[in-house]
Amino acid sequence: MLKLLLKKQMTEIFRNYFYNPKKNTARSKAGIIGYIILFIAIMAGLLGGMFTYLSMILCAPLSAAGMDWLYFALMGLLSVLLGVFGSVFNTYSCLYLSKDNDLLLSMPISVNVIMASRLLTVYLMGLMYSIVVILPAVIVYWVTATVSAGVILGGLLLILLISAFVLTLSCALGWVVAKISLKLKNKSFITVIISLAFFGGYYFFYFKAQTLIQDLLANASVYGEKIKGAAYPLYLFGRVGAGDAFAMAVVSAVVMALFGLMWVLISHSFLKIATSSGNTAKKVYKETAVKQKSIAAALLTKEFGRFTASPNYMLNCGLGIILLPIAGVMLLWQGGTVISVLNEIFGERAGCVPVLLCATVCTLASMNDMTSPSVSLEGKSLWLMQSLPVTPWQVLRAKLSMQMILSGIPALFCTACIAFIYPFTPLELLLAVLVPMLYVLFSALFGLFLGLKMPNLNWTSEITPIKQSAPVTIALFSGFGYTVLLCAGYMFLNGWKLSFVGYMSLFGAVTLGLCGLLYFWLKKRGSKLFAGL
Amino acid sequence: MLKIEHLTKTYGEKKAVDDLTLHIAPGEIYGFIGHNGAGKTTTLKSVVGILQFDDGEILINGKSVRTAPLDCKRDIAYIPDNPDLYDYMSGIKYLNFIADIFGVSAADRKERIRKYSELFELTSDLAQPIAAYSHGMKQKLAIIAAWLHSPKLIIMDEPFVGLDPKASHLLKGMMREVCDEGGAIFFSTHVLEVAEKLCDKVAIIKGGRLIRSGTMEDVKGDDSLEEVFLELEGESC
Repeated sequence: MLKLLLKKQMTEIFRNYFYNPKKNTARSKAGIIGYIILFIAIMAGLLGGMFTYLSMILCAPLSAAGMDWLYFALMGLLSVLLGVFGSVFNTYSCLYLSKDNDLLLSMPISVNVIMASRLLTVYLMGLMYSIVVILPAVIVYWVTATVSAGVILGGLLLILLISAFVLTLSCALGWVVAKISLKLKNKSFITVIISLAFFGGYYFFYFKAQTLIQDLLANASVYGEKIKGAAYPLYLFGRVGAGDAFAMAVVSAVVMALFGLMWVLISHSFLKIATSSGNTAKKVYKETAVKQKSIAAALLTKEFGRFTASPNYMLNCGLGIILLPIAGVMLLWQGGTVISVLNEIFGERAGCVPVLLCATVCTLASMNDMTSPSVSLEGKSLWLMQSLPVTPWQVLRAKLSMQMILSGIPALFCTACIAFIYPFTPLELLLAVLVPMLYVLFSALFGLFLGLKMPNLNWTSEITPIKQSAPVTIALFSGFGYTVLLCAGYMFLNGWKLSFVGYMSLFGAVTLGLCGLLYFWLKKRGSKLFAGL
Repeated sequence: MLKIEHLTKTYGEKKAVDDLTLHIAPGEIYGFIGHNGAGKTTTLKSVVGILQFDDGEILINGKSVRTAPLDCKRDIAYIPDNPDLYDYMSGIKYLNFIADIFGVSAADRKERIRKYSELFELTSDLAQPIAAYSHGMKQKLAIIAAWLHSPKLIIMDEPFVGLDPKASHLLKGMMREVCDEGGAIFFSTHVLEVAEKLCDKVAIIKGGRLIRSGTMEDVKGDDSLEEVFLELEGESC
């Protein structure tokens, strides 16, 4: 039964890898292989590559100083952090909000089996994120430090223990969110605020990482002794990777005990939480004056309603809304230093700094990809848009407008802050505003294009289209790709020879051309596709 | 009011609806019956513009669903067999959204929302999110939304499923009222007793083909609708 339920969950998550919703047929072998290669390239190539590099910096000096355990403890903590970061936001939805909970609970299936199938999905999500840190760390250690049977066993056990610990932590946090959600009224926003605090901590750590690493390498033995004295469990945790039998036994026992505790906690409350509608006071309806809205305004309000009703949607597809103004304020505050540092590094080629500043705005704006899952999120309510007197284009335009507003205004603010700190000429300023704005338009159009080409209307948890779908992944990484191209084209592909104004005009014109193509495709073919979904 | 001419819709190799012709005049409550998978929902979805059909023509007040879909949709209301509404909206927000789409004035919507939500005893729940509604409450909300813009033609797929007896009774009265005012109702049902008592005309579909249609008297004669339906099903087999 567990195998059957797990297969159902996996089919749902990876549905678009094997099934073409447009043609209602299974994908060809080449298509499946292509999708899988893309997925592996993103996870193993990009994220894995990044952490392999970090492992290579840390491993040799720490193991030479006899601080192997510190290396594994650091990489292990990073792995736990990324694993929890990657899976905590969908644990609550996956465990308690799946639409088929009622159906499964009504069937002769044990609650523990349903829970286990959900937890296995959470486990796989956590494993997917944690392994991109810890696997390269373990392999780098085997290659650069030492390798023996004990070390290999320790490394493999560490990977397993970390994934189990990530699952335990994610579930505990998911349980806390579930308990809070049952009591709160404005749960969407409160969940977002809590999550953003988590993000804030993560990014603070991320930006400080370089300094911390340098400091750590310089004073490895001092910090090592301090940690060993004050946080002995962390020492033992690190020793697992180095193949210490005692550490392996103790840490395994602790992780298993914590997992057992979490299982007991969740199994006692799963049924109650999953079937509860919450005990907040019922809102009393009071008739109020309402103004008649135009169709466009009504559709746009609907899109905003969908976005703000879901913490998952806001956090996964709207981070740029917060990050762009924060970056703007940070640049106002520290802009002088940033520009002088950038000038020192890239000063040889004129115009590099403003290109980098524009690319920063584009990178942050690319974290907003609301249009990508928006078609799939119509789900089973799609009949409404198809039967009401609205054209498919009006519906699609509302989706575009929401992203344009939510990305465009923060991007404009950030660009305005840049304009305060960088001495643009009027023409340069115009281009510095225009190119990021064109990118905002392009990303909205491209996201919607992907959403229409790869829709999934039969999800049971909204996290599937929001986080686990190909359109969102492709949109996000294409956004990063665009900014890389913007910078690389200027610095390494002789773009600088055109000067800032020439290069940005050319880049803007190409982006505008792409926007035009996507716009007309969406208006003609996209509208037809939407009508025929 | 509604003319379906030689409607054909296929899914792959299978003909879901095969050369179906049906006319519904103003003032008529037209029942549409058939076994599961007979083609009822496909026909209804084609009429309201959700499904694109392969052959034939559908006219609503003389306008083609194919060439003037928006004009047609403005004249109709549709209630599907499963009221999958926007769970993230509250009941009142959903009603206002529908009213905005149909351009219902603030004064008219206020009056109609008040009237129908009181009739269906849903007023106190209008501020609640739809996600918290039961199936029956969602069905009631879908009915109120359908009646908001005073449509000329109402298309309903199994409208009585999930409704309590009082709401069912109320809905029957509202359907008659629409027809008395010159509108028309086209609805599918498996409850043959309801169809027999409520409908002016009835159509029976099997395997995508219309096997009998006309006034209730023409279709059933002196027998009950259930007997006729089962007999026709048997004959076709």
